[in-house]
Amino acid sequence: MFRLLWQELVFRRNAIIGWSLGLCFFPIVYIAIYPSVADQMAGLADLEIYKAMGMSLGTFPDWVGSILIIFMPLVAAIYGIINGTGTLAGEEEDGRLEMIVTLPQPRWQIVTAKAIALTISSLIMFLVVSIVSVFVFQAIQSQVETDMMAMDLFTAVLMAWPLVFAMGMLSMFLAAFCANRRFASIIAAAILVVSYFGNNLAASTTALEPFEPFFLFNYLDASGTAVIEGQATGDMLVLLAVGLVSFALALFFFQRRDLTVGLWPWQRARVS
Amino acid sequence: MSKHLIETSGLTVYYGRHRGILNVDLNVEQGEVFGFLGPNGAGKTTTQRVLLDIIRPTSGKATIFGLDCQTQGVEIRQRIGYLPGELALYKNMKASQFFKMYEFLREQNGSKGYWRELAKRLDLDTSRKIGNFSRGNKQKVGIVAAFMNRPDLLILDEPTGGLDPLVQQTVLEMVREAKADGRTIFFSSHILPEVQAVADRVGIIRDGQLVTTQRVEEMMAQHVTRLSLGFAELPPAAAFQFAGVTELSRGERDVLLEVQDNLPQVLAVAAENNIQHIETMNVSLEDIFLTYYGKGNGGNHV
Repeated sequence: MFRLLWQELVFRRNAIIGWSLGLCFFPIVYIAIYPSVADQMAGLADLEIYKAMGMSLGTFPDWVGSILIIFMPLVAAIYGIINGTGTLAGEEEDGRLEMIVTLPQPRWQIVTAKAIALTISSLIMFLVVSIVSVFVFQAIQSQVETDMMAMDLFTAVLMAWPLVFAMGMLSMFLAAFCANRRFASIIAAAILVVSYFGNNLAASTTALEPFEPFFLFNYLDASGTAVIEGQATGDMLVLLAVGLVSFALALFFFQRRDLTVGLWPWQRARVS
Repeated sequence: MSKHLIETSGLTVYYGRHRGILNVDLNVEQGEVFGFLGPNGAGKTTTQRVLLDIIRPTSGKATIFGLDCQTQGVEIRQRIGYLPGELALYKNMKASQFFKMYEFLREQNGSKGYWRELAKRLDLDTSRKIGNFSRGNKQKVGIVAAFMNRPDLLILDEPTGGLDPLVQQTVLEMVREAKADGRTIFFSSHILPEVQAVADRVGIIRDGQLVTTQRVEEMMAQHVTRLSLGFAELPPAAAFQFAGVTELSRGERDVLLEVQDNLPQVLAVAAENNIQHIETMNVSLEDIFLTYYGKGNGGNHV
């Protein structure tokens, strides 16, 4: 399995580099420009439109939370969806999976290697963004009035990673279940978007409050307080649990079903 | 433990309500080349995929090396080389990178680097990216990948598809050499002359069901002989009306017969009518195959 894991990481090396560079756009641009927009942002802090987008812009930690802790994972979750659906359903659709599953390795090891590779690759991206965030912050620290430390920023960015892990594994499960990349991607993207807007709107609309526990973004606190003090352990555990349960379901369905035949679940015969 | 290298019993696969294969009972012996014949959609690929545990049977059982294909697939696949019918490869990789990766993933210790020899033999440029290859060259990559670990069993799905005639001959030669090494080859094809050229036994699958399994020479001996008889003056129209004899055509001075039985009577009538010329025409495996698939059987023609 370690050989397959290594190979999966090798396959992802360009994606890791590209996405890491792309995600670094957030700290490089948005942290760097803060000193020049801080006064204007403080004035926009109470606008409903920003609240609906989950943004609070009053202080530097609020700004970091609104941009880095919400938008960056939102974009990184797209990597989770692309990779999570592409690694099983995508390879199955284009036929490459047939060469892999005929190797002398059990199916659970194939899914596990791919899941670990997805986990490691997204973690590397978050590590890179965390480190770059620290460097950018140190460059502007003297121009910003804040009690926040560089280490707070580092951990705040890393603590947003469980959401991407959850989305990646959820996508992998959908791909293992449907064997149709497009369908799995659409469902996963819908979950992401509904989760994001639903959670933000739930903050201002009581009608959505009962659904809050179902929104993944409910478990990612983007407030300035959370940036400094860290995410609630319980919330992080919920996101990790969603990821792990999704992974277990991906294992279960991939282990049982016929591969390469591209059938929908309800079209499949019962396995004896 | 099974005495056959490959053994299936009552193997049935349904894709939802669609038939894949039905009650396939198949035995392949150690060291033989087994040709699996059938047109597209007959169930050849489904059978092979069940053997490799890519598809799970709806009912029935399959074993290879005496091991259960579903529960002991890993042990089985360690000793198998497989060429899929619809080969899909990593387009951005060079062929050499692909072979090294495959060697690495197979944890192949013996026969390391054997792919170089195979690639040279098939005249495959391994320094080029797979995405730039023609269909034939991609097929060569698949063939090298199947043979490169010197497996005990080769499962090849349409191995010569897309190859030029010269390379086809090389591949068939590789199959013969593998057999000479005592290895077993199970290959599906609808190119009948190549099956006839290398197979010891053939199985014919039709509409998901195994119609027959026989040694090639037995199958050919049991089937029809075609006779072209030349006369100075043609015998009467009903002269060859015997059971098992079909008059295919009648020219000005010759009659073409398909004879399954009563050959002595045919020859006696021919002698009575002053036969001047007799020609026996070889019946190919293709002709036999068509008797299972065509001519009123309601099957598919190939």
